[in-house]
Amino acid sequence: MPKLTIEELEKLREEARKTTFIREQGQFRAKINVHMGTCGLAAGARHILNAFLQEIEKRGLTDVLLTTSGCAGLCSREPMATIEIAGQAPVKYIDLTEKKVEEIFEKHIQGGEIVTAYALGIGSEKTDLS
Amino acid sequence: MITVTIDGKKIQVEEGTNILKAAEKLDIKIPTLCYHPLIEPYAACRVCLVEVTLRGKTELVTACNTKVQEGMDIQTTSPRAVQSRRLNVEMLLARAPAAEPLQRLAREMGLEKPRFPVRDPQEKCILCGLCVRACEEIVGACAISFVDRGIERKVMPPFGEPSVACIGCTACAYFCPTGAITYEDKYGRKVIHDELYLGPSTAIRVPIRQAVPMVPFIDEKACIHFKTGRCQLCAKVCDRQAINHEMEDEVIEVEVGSIIMATGFKPFDARRIPAYGYGRLSNVITALEFEHLVNASGPTGGKILLTNGEEPKSVGIVHCVGSRDEHYNEYCSRVCCMYSLKFAHLIKEKTKAEIYDFYIDLRCFGKGYEEFYHRLLEEGTKFIRGRVAEITDLALTKEEEGKLIIRVEDTLLGVVRRIPVDMVILATGLEPSVDHNQIAKIFNISCSQDMFFLERHPKLAPVSSFSDGIFLAGCCQGPKDIPDSVAQAGAAAAEALALADKGVFALEPVTAEINEELCSGCQICIGLCPFKAITYDREKDISVVNDALCKGCGTCVAACPSGAAQQRHFRDRQIMAEIEGLLIL
Amino acid sequence: MAVEKEKLYRVHLMVCAGTGCVSNHAFEIKEALEKEIKRRGLEKEVKVVTTGCNGFCERGPLMVVQPGNIFYQMLTVKDIPYLVEEHLLKGRPVKKLMYQPPEEKTPVPVLSEINFFKKQVLVALRNRGLIDPEKIEDYIARDGYKALVKALTQMTPEEIIHEVTISGLRGRGGAGFPTGLKWQLVRNAISPDNEKYLVCNGDEGDPGAFMDRSILEADPHSVIEGMLIGAKAIGATQGFIYVRNEYPLAVKRILIALDQARYYGLLGHDILGTGFDFDIRVVRGAGAFVCGEETALLASIEGRLGEPRPRPPYPAEKGLWGKPTCINNVETWANIPVIIDRGGKWFASIGTATSKGTKVFSIVGKINNTGLVEVPMGITLREIIYDIGGGIPGGKKFKAVQTGGPSGGCIPAELINLPIDYESLTAAGSMMGSGGMVVMDEDTCMVDVARYFLSFTQDESCGKCTPCREGTKAMLDILTRITEGKGTEEDLGLLEELADTIKEASLCGLGKTAPNPVLTTLRYFRDEYIAHIQDKKCPAHVCRSLNVYKIDPQICFEKGHGCDVCRRNCATDAIIGSKGEAHKIDQTKCIKCGVCFDVCHFGAVKVE
Repeated sequence: MPKLTIEELEKLREEARKTTFIREQGQFRAKINVHMGTCGLAAGARHILNAFLQEIEKRGLTDVLLTTSGCAGLCSREPMATIEIAGQAPVKYIDLTEKKVEEIFEKHIQGGEIVTAYALGIGSEKTDLS
Repeated sequence: MITVTIDGKKIQVEEGTNILKAAEKLDIKIPTLCYHPLIEPYAACRVCLVEVTLRGKTELVTACNTKVQEGMDIQTTSPRAVQSRRLNVEMLLARAPAAEPLQRLAREMGLEKPRFPVRDPQEKCILCGLCVRACEEIVGACAISFVDRGIERKVMPPFGEPSVACIGCTACAYFCPTGAITYEDKYGRKVIHDELYLGPSTAIRVPIRQAVPMVPFIDEKACIHFKTGRCQLCAKVCDRQAINHEMEDEVIEVEVGSIIMATGFKPFDARRIPAYGYGRLSNVITALEFEHLVNASGPTGGKILLTNGEEPKSVGIVHCVGSRDEHYNEYCSRVCCMYSLKFAHLIKEKTKAEIYDFYIDLRCFGKGYEEFYHRLLEEGTKFIRGRVAEITDLALTKEEEGKLIIRVEDTLLGVVRRIPVDMVILATGLEPSVDHNQIAKIFNISCSQDMFFLERHPKLAPVSSFSDGIFLAGCCQGPKDIPDSVAQAGAAAAEALALADKGVFALEPVTAEINEELCSGCQICIGLCPFKAITYDREKDISVVNDALCKGCGTCVAACPSGAAQQRHFRDRQIMAEIEGLLIL
Repeated sequence: MAVEKEKLYRVHLMVCAGTGCVSNHAFEIKEALEKEIKRRGLEKEVKVVTTGCNGFCERGPLMVVQPGNIFYQMLTVKDIPYLVEEHLLKGRPVKKLMYQPPEEKTPVPVLSEINFFKKQVLVALRNRGLIDPEKIEDYIARDGYKALVKALTQMTPEEIIHEVTISGLRGRGGAGFPTGLKWQLVRNAISPDNEKYLVCNGDEGDPGAFMDRSILEADPHSVIEGMLIGAKAIGATQGFIYVRNEYPLAVKRILIALDQARYYGLLGHDILGTGFDFDIRVVRGAGAFVCGEETALLASIEGRLGEPRPRPPYPAEKGLWGKPTCINNVETWANIPVIIDRGGKWFASIGTATSKGTKVFSIVGKINNTGLVEVPMGITLREIIYDIGGGIPGGKKFKAVQTGGPSGGCIPAELINLPIDYESLTAAGSMMGSGGMVVMDEDTCMVDVARYFLSFTQDESCGKCTPCREGTKAMLDILTRITEGKGTEEDLGLLEELADTIKEASLCGLGKTAPNPVLTTLRYFRDEYIAHIQDKKCPAHVCRSLNVYKIDPQICFEKGHGCDVCRRNCATDAIIGSKGEAHKIDQTKCIKCGVCFDVCHFGAVKVE
């Protein structure tokens, strides 16, 4: 697609951002932290991780951050993920499956409504997103 | 106009003047080393530093390239400027102690010995760059430049090898202020100082040392102005503005009554006889080359030297080279025997070498010539009667090593001899000049079998040609020496003068004439006339015979299809009448 | 080039591939990472990206994990499998590969928390560690070429110049000439056929300076975009990037960047459909420091002898092939897109009254955190050396810092609170220069430092003008003699005389500033010169020929038990003694090589 017009340049910019935004330290609307560790991995946290990734990619979002961390402690309820919308308390989801991920993404992250059925609790661990 | 103050004195100068020139106007002299009025300023030597105050700011600047600005206050001898200048000169003195202008400057400044180590006490180059800039800016050859950085900087052609771009103009030596670049005149050419390996002769030069007039000419093929449009340094430095590159060849038309042909001869090209080794063996030279060698203003200053610079101990002179020869020219060139004897005498006088003369017959025909020959016999010149077959450097015995061996049949002794000599002179004969064919065509002159111009009668009209009004003098008519040439020239001049003096001219009555009414203007006769005596009259559309040129050969008469061309006194009817008369008998 | 849609990865491993890390096997680390990632089946989730110089060169090879900004340093190929398993697979960052400050007990995982990075303000280096320099899309994603669009469609050339002028940006190559003013001069200059040129000076020759190299290797498009904007402002249609041939990686990345820009029509004819034409050619230097001087650089581009010419006329009036030319340094160009994007006023809000914005410095020498930093003008030397630089290794005493390379000067320890800007550095006798900073401690001999810098200038002098060509050699000879203990009082006087003349009389900046290291060391460390000349001693023990090595017999016997190691290593058999007894050095044979000092484990060999 050679010789861009100004509009095409802007489009290219948007497209490129969709895959490089994860390098930025800026404001994120939402942060998803999937708990890994040996227990998490054994329980299939990788698939959950990839499911979240696909959701982000599908929608072309650039303001949702996906991170991993080690074991959260509640190994029996793995796979687990903590979802934090900026400015709100983080929510821990347990016993996740790929289907649940889809629902949580649509309802909580995009819709702003916590899916209490899948949640463990609203935790106080806040992450500084600024 | 701009007003500036220099050393307290106010002066008005034109915009764009540099401080150096402005100071000159006030008779204030600022020292320079790398500056020259004909070349763009370089500001490299930093010797022309002056202190300049402008708008409250004071700094040291170089006077050669800094242009004056309104309100400048210039101090040429302020302590700051003088101190800087002095240190620069001191450092340069350590680099090039043998450079005279530098020594002079140092003396003026009271500098004796530099406080810095001297690398080369003979060094003259101050790295002013005038040579490089002249070569680039003025001449445009760009054959030399600066190479290497810093302390190692020096002037050189690319990679230190002889530069093909150098045209040997010596502009670099001309501009060099210290004489670090020199040149010497070798072999009539200019060869620049050895270390710089620069090139061949200059484009503007006097052709030979004895040229008449003694005036340089410009060789268009070598002149850089004709190649690049630049240079013209010769014109720039000529005080009398005598050089004009735009001069063109002129074609001048002169109407004359008579012409004397004196177009000379050319020497026989000895390369046509491969057996003699000319052009292949060194020290085999022709007569003319020997003349050049032995001349006091020649390449060796008159010394007779071999190519290795030594004097020959034996010389062989070979007569009849290209003359009296079935394969080349059958005629005798007349002058060779005598000049060969002259050579033998000169060589004997200058070198005491053994001389061998190889002849067939000795033609000493003139006044004092035979007596001269006897003198040579007394001097000990060895005369060997025989035609030289071969000159070779293939030695068969020890004595022959490093020598030229002349193989000849000594007809008086009846043996074939090999004679080793150091130098061989070929007495080349005379041939008609290079362009004699062209000349003959233009002037309509007949040539004899030996291709020299043919005289009307060998005994009774030796200086006239078959065309009236064209006379012959000198070697164009046949080989002859100087006394004979001079005599013939006098005779030709006399004939020409006689013609001019008479004013009238007796014509042969037996000429052709063309009947105007019968002539159709077909012009067949014009092409056929060997004397170019017929011209075409465009207006009347007829051919006209010039009675003065017509020789009555009758060619046009025979060729004319309409019978318009007729010969006076030999008209068809007259000829028919004569034939009738004969047949009656 | 990627036309198909890029895949979204969840982790990007930003591996530093600046020349420093590359020479430290960064590409092998990259390969090992890719191999291990594949082995673990993570290739759809983790992407390895090579970036330009990260800046913390002391700790290379290094890598930053995004998201999370986790900083890993001093990586070896052996570390990789463990790293991949623990951090990427199990989500547990590896503590032992993180940066741990020397006096601290715990590592600092996040880059922005590390002292070295904390005080830096990235403007010219805004894309540091965040883009692959060989992918134009990465640059565009981070607002690349946004300023160009603004300049081409929303601003007139006068407005662009105005923005640059109020930003207060000054030439980052060393001279500090106001950039806006230079652009205005070039714009005003008359060119008979309307041809004007733009040049980027990437000849960075100062020893120890690698700011421009890093920018060209890490973010070539920032320079290209800057030049495009500059071209629009002054009316040029052809630009040149002159980069020294000793920067092959920079050359490679610029060429790739230019190709990619041309492909997208960001260079060439009718850029972005606005009717603007501009293209850039790369010209490589041929190994001459003097070609960093603007007129010598122009001569070099023209194919002529690389030597400077007198100014006036300045290149703004008569530059390349006699046409008006605007030459700016790499870092200057890199700042332009940000200034246009965020406004000159924003840029001017950083820095001091006379020196606006930030400056990239390369911190080298006796410092813990060697590397490349960008800091706001006005930051103090103390902050740079101690907060960012992490102080002097081995707990040694800070002595001086050399700024501005061989054209600059030494600033002594007592001026450590000096704020860094053009004027204050000049007042202290040094200069900003292109941003090289060499830190020196108590073990540095200032006379030797002056000699070192002068030997550089003397070697690089083009040789055209007398004072620089002959003078620097004369000064170097004197300094060498002084370091060998052969100096005299007259030498000092001659040294100063030469320095003054060379400074005033030289034709170009190289000569004019060559005496600076000598002049500043004489100003602040005259006592060291006196010690060398009068006492024939080098206080820092650097000038070997002035050292006197002696063995303390007590230490040798009691601690070392006459171990005999020194005697065995002495090349001239100058040490007397046998095993078990205290050794002694025969001063008449000692050649002061210092080997005994180096090999003695017990510190028995003392140097005076």
